[in-house]
Amino acid sequence: MASRSSQRGITVDQHDGYWRGKFLAMASPCEVLCETDNQGGAERLTELVATEAWRIEDKFSRYLPGNIVNRINEANGRPIEVDAETTQLIDFSLSLYELSHGRFDITSGVLRRVWTFDGSSNIPSKSSVKAVKRYLGWKRVRWNAPVLQMQPGMELDFGGIGKEYAVDRAANLLRNATPLGCLVNFGGDLVAARKPCRRDAWNVGVEAVDASRPAGEKLLNLQVGALATSGDARRFLFRDGIRYSHILDPLTGWPVPDAPRSITVAADTCTQAGMLSTLAMLEGAQAEQFLEAQAVRYWCNRGNAVAGN
Amino acid sequence: MSNRYKRSITGTLAAATCTLLGSNMPEPVQAQEEPGWDFNTALLYYGEDDDRVQDLSLNVLTRRTFVDDRFLTFGVTLDALTGASPNGALPQSVPQTFTKPSGKGTYTTAPDQLPLDDTFKDARVAVTANWQQPLGRLFQVNAGVSASKEYDYLHLGLNAKISRDFNKRNTTLSAGFAIAQDESDPIGGTPTGLTAMLNAVEDDDEGRRKGPLETKDIFDIVFGVTQVISRNLLMQVNYSYSDTSGYLTDPYKTISVVDGATGDAVPVIPTPGDGPSHLNLFEHRPDNRVKHSLYTQAKYHMNGKVLDLSYRYMTDDWEIDSHTVDLRFRWPISDRSYLEPHLRFYTQTAAEFYSLYLIDGEPLPEYASADFRLGDFDATTAGLKFGWKTGGGNDMSVRVELYKQSGNISSGQLIGDQVGRDNYPDLNAIIVQYGYRFGK
Repeated sequence: MASRSSQRGITVDQHDGYWRGKFLAMASPCEVLCETDNQGGAERLTELVATEAWRIEDKFSRYLPGNIVNRINEANGRPIEVDAETTQLIDFSLSLYELSHGRFDITSGVLRRVWTFDGSSNIPSKSSVKAVKRYLGWKRVRWNAPVLQMQPGMELDFGGIGKEYAVDRAANLLRNATPLGCLVNFGGDLVAARKPCRRDAWNVGVEAVDASRPAGEKLLNLQVGALATSGDARRFLFRDGIRYSHILDPLTGWPVPDAPRSITVAADTCTQAGMLSTLAMLEGAQAEQFLEAQAVRYWCNRGNAVAGN
Repeated sequence: MSNRYKRSITGTLAAATCTLLGSNMPEPVQAQEEPGWDFNTALLYYGEDDDRVQDLSLNVLTRRTFVDDRFLTFGVTLDALTGASPNGALPQSVPQTFTKPSGKGTYTTAPDQLPLDDTFKDARVAVTANWQQPLGRLFQVNAGVSASKEYDYLHLGLNAKISRDFNKRNTTLSAGFAIAQDESDPIGGTPTGLTAMLNAVEDDDEGRRKGPLETKDIFDIVFGVTQVISRNLLMQVNYSYSDTSGYLTDPYKTISVVDGATGDAVPVIPTPGDGPSHLNLFEHRPDNRVKHSLYTQAKYHMNGKVLDLSYRYMTDDWEIDSHTVDLRFRWPISDRSYLEPHLRFYTQTAAEFYSLYLIDGEPLPEYASADFRLGDFDATTAGLKFGWKTGGGNDMSVRVELYKQSGNISSGQLIGDQVGRDNYPDLNAIIVQYGYRFGK
């Protein structure tokens, strides 16, 4: 989970047929769209969503001293008892760890000590990757819910699921709070919580495009459900004609070869969409085949390397 | 594909998500692509050296996307052709005069030059329309129509194709067909094959050489297999069969009649009026041609680089056999741009009725053509493409290619004075293309 947002406030503005509330959380611009006619209602719903986003950010950010993730990461080998929500997130991560045969691993954040994806050609040495891999791997963790014990030097990071989880939680709150058409969007991971009434669908732009189409944004019509995107066309390293994606394989400590630049998946919840796009990225060249086997709608962007056929 | 994902994980993932988020799972997702437009445009210049054929071509392909992966594609191509093309006659040590195809007036070729008909000028408009859609989860169908019109030529065609995925989409089988009818209405009428080029006339009201419209029918079928071999390698094999029947002769091509001893073209006894200086017969080809071709392609991906190698073998009942090897390598040079070198080698054997000349006094063959395109030749294309993404996320590219075609004439084919003449000059051409692709 990214750094704590420094500015905590909401703004709302009116659009054709809906109000939009905006705030910052989890290092992303976040928005709440609602087919209400009054500013007060828009503010109330945005406040509700923002409060939940900030709560999750504060609780699970890696950077915030004193929170549960910080206490786990500072435990230096001691066992830590965690609360029920953290237990659920760890158990969920463990399901993903098993489904991905070890390639979705919430202890893989330590790889950031050697990998910085800033568009440069700074590829770490094999020995430094090997050195940091000693602190990586769920198999080194003792998890006996609700007690977690990690080896000294290991790190826990919910960055791979935190935002999707927060979007789904926010969408649940919206569903309980209003019968109106509404959508929640945290930096591109989004849920249409209720179908819009004043239009056929929410128009959503995705950066990911399939290789047979020109680049640029593609517009999707979303009536209800979630979209999540993995990958980031701006985060990569480039050396000797090789583009290194920022998707790291915890089993090797290296970027997944031939990973698409980004993948957007549509699913019933943002968590499912996000996990499918993440696991597909980890499949590298076989990302599309993996997604085909899951029978979901997806949009895969492989950039200009394979486009134009 | 690795075995671990042979089974879908969606069920397990849904259960885990339900535990995480609580029991009230939301409605199933409903998302579709916004119908959109995609424009692929290209401006191409093709220029042969020695003032031969030049073509400026504009191509616009428009694709409209509908929901559920259905596409409608429209294509328009406009060509402006100018320049001169070989009329089939051999170079001579004396000037040669020919009647223009229209029958109105003549043109003269200087000594030792390849006779070129410089009245060649045409505009072409071609349009295509194609509909593509999935049929169930594994089938894909498409069907289309095509038409093109030149001053003296009309083409109308229909095509359809069906493909099916197998083996977890690692294998695709496809089958397709195309039928077309082409109609030619040559300037100056359709000449009778293997008759002499006539004198020029003052007016075109003499009705000379006017024949009915000539047509040809084309029937093609194609079967293909595309196979994912490994995570990096994709292979494709296509077999195609093509049957063309009808008027297959080029009405503007002739063949020199030469003296069997000297090899020089036979002069025409001067007749009143303007006319050809030497004896030239209009070519004549069989009225049926059956081609078989086998095409294989391998595409290899290496960390963003793509190697694309293909080979085509074609054989037909005119006894032309050809081999084509085509190699492209897409090499990313930055995150937004790539270079793509291209090499192509082509070689073909001559048609059985191809001949540089006919010998005066010998019985006429049933078919004869001196068209270089039916002769024994090799051709090489070498080019480089540079492609980049614009700030707006669209694709642009510039491609420059050089083409060289060299005829193979064995010394045994030459008689008398023909030895030492450049009977089949090399053809050099340049191709420059600018491409721009954008969406809306």
